[in-house]
Amino acid sequence: MNGGHPQDLGLRAQADAIAAGDLDPRELLQATLERIAERDGPLNSIVATFPEESERMLAAAPPGPLHGVPIAIKDMFQLPWRGPRDGAPREALPAGESGVYRALRDAGAVIVGVTQMHFWGAGSTGHVSAYGPVGNAWNAEHCGGGSSGGSATATGARLVAGAVGTDGGGSIRLPAAYNGITGLKGTYGSASREGYTHANSTMGAAGPMCRDAADARLLGSVLFGRDLAAGVADASGLRVGLVRSPFWDDLDPEVERACRTAVEATGWRTSEPALAGAEHAQVAAVLRLTLEGLPSLSEQDIAEADPLTRGLVKYELLLPAHWLVRADRVRSLLRRAVADAFASCDLLVWPTVAAPAPRIDNPTVTLPSGPIAPDAVNVRQAGIANLTGQPGINVPVGVHSSGLPIGLQLLGPWGGEELLLDAAEHVERATSREWVDALPPTASASAQV
Amino acid sequence: MDAFEQHVRAGLELAGVEIDDVELAVMRAADAVYGPGFRALAEADLGDVILEPDLDPSRPPVER
Repeated sequence: MNGGHPQDLGLRAQADAIAAGDLDPRELLQATLERIAERDGPLNSIVATFPEESERMLAAAPPGPLHGVPIAIKDMFQLPWRGPRDGAPREALPAGESGVYRALRDAGAVIVGVTQMHFWGAGSTGHVSAYGPVGNAWNAEHCGGGSSGGSATATGARLVAGAVGTDGGGSIRLPAAYNGITGLKGTYGSASREGYTHANSTMGAAGPMCRDAADARLLGSVLFGRDLAAGVADASGLRVGLVRSPFWDDLDPEVERACRTAVEATGWRTSEPALAGAEHAQVAAVLRLTLEGLPSLSEQDIAEADPLTRGLVKYELLLPAHWLVRADRVRSLLRRAVADAFASCDLLVWPTVAAPAPRIDNPTVTLPSGPIAPDAVNVRQAGIANLTGQPGINVPVGVHSSGLPIGLQLLGPWGGEELLLDAAEHVERATSREWVDALPPTASASAQV
Repeated sequence: MDAFEQHVRAGLELAGVEIDDVELAVMRAADAVYGPGFRALAEADLGDVILEPDLDPSRPPVER
């Protein structure tokens, strides 16, 4: 340990140090709770800690790949001592054992906190929540992102080395990009949906949010219940499709430059395939996402929501049914187009977000076309993978002149999480780990271990 | 009262849902952002697109 704080270690390093007897998991848990208490005030990334329950999990933790390692979990999963609230004031489900909880418990992990999220998961900024806005690990005055913003910020700020997120319209990948961490959305259905507040969604999937791809491989293997083995492909020789329109259009120039520079550094062979239906992917994703959620909302739920969320729900109530039918035709079109693209490409690649995280007090981003609400352009970049069901990952590839991270998104074929992780590790190596190891100012007081 | 507000107030009244001015402003802003895309989708020629039978997002499409 060399005297450093144990949360300055990554997930693998924590697990290895515990297994080797070099790190006492009880001390790690205590140090993690203390760090959350010390650092999370302005970030507001953790909704709840429960030291007694965490200590009980640790006392009963079996041997496993995450034995004794603290993990934070998004407020969408049942825990035996706490019902998830989905970013809203009341429980969405009662307390219980979600499948994700069982996967973590059986791997020996210790759930140390529940993380903040955008109200009902219905936004990519995280500035709207019953628990207040979540700040960014790199600048607490900027949005931590959504909807898994708390998981991303807590990981980015070194409160924890790994957290669970969910992604129904980019909600792992987008906040991962905002916070300079690695976030993997699994293939639809790859993680258990039992005890998950959005279990009826055909778009949402859970996944790991960690500091780098190797840590995401470790946590992802636990969440997905299978060994995400390294080395399934020669990651230096991949063929990648850069789908220019709409995913490389209308980007912050620094974001575009950083992403292109990272792709060039990989040495990958690139092509520019077109995807039929891609021009409608944004609104098709919005329609599916929003309309799938409406039946779960009671009048009381809507009445208790904040004015912004209430207005959005009422807007959704008036969307014509034939638009959803059209969205589903686009979904079929896109799934076929993406499957066809993988005949000549190993991955599809474009920027995860078009611009860095906006300010909490002015949540808009400015693109070459002008100012715009981040949700609109974020779901444009990310929603396609939720419509198709394929996996995707954010890899940190730069820091903007605003001081906020930039992320590159890699999308793989269905069930191709191992390939995505191999590719993400290749990006990390090709960029000399400059961005994946970059330390946010909120964590800069940490001693390096 | 413009056409958007008439549509919103009448539609929500039929559904028995009340609305205040702040919510109306939010709805107007949402329509400014997403409305053009929705209307482009509504006008898109998708008549020949066959819905994928038994769509399962965990797998690639069986039929192309």
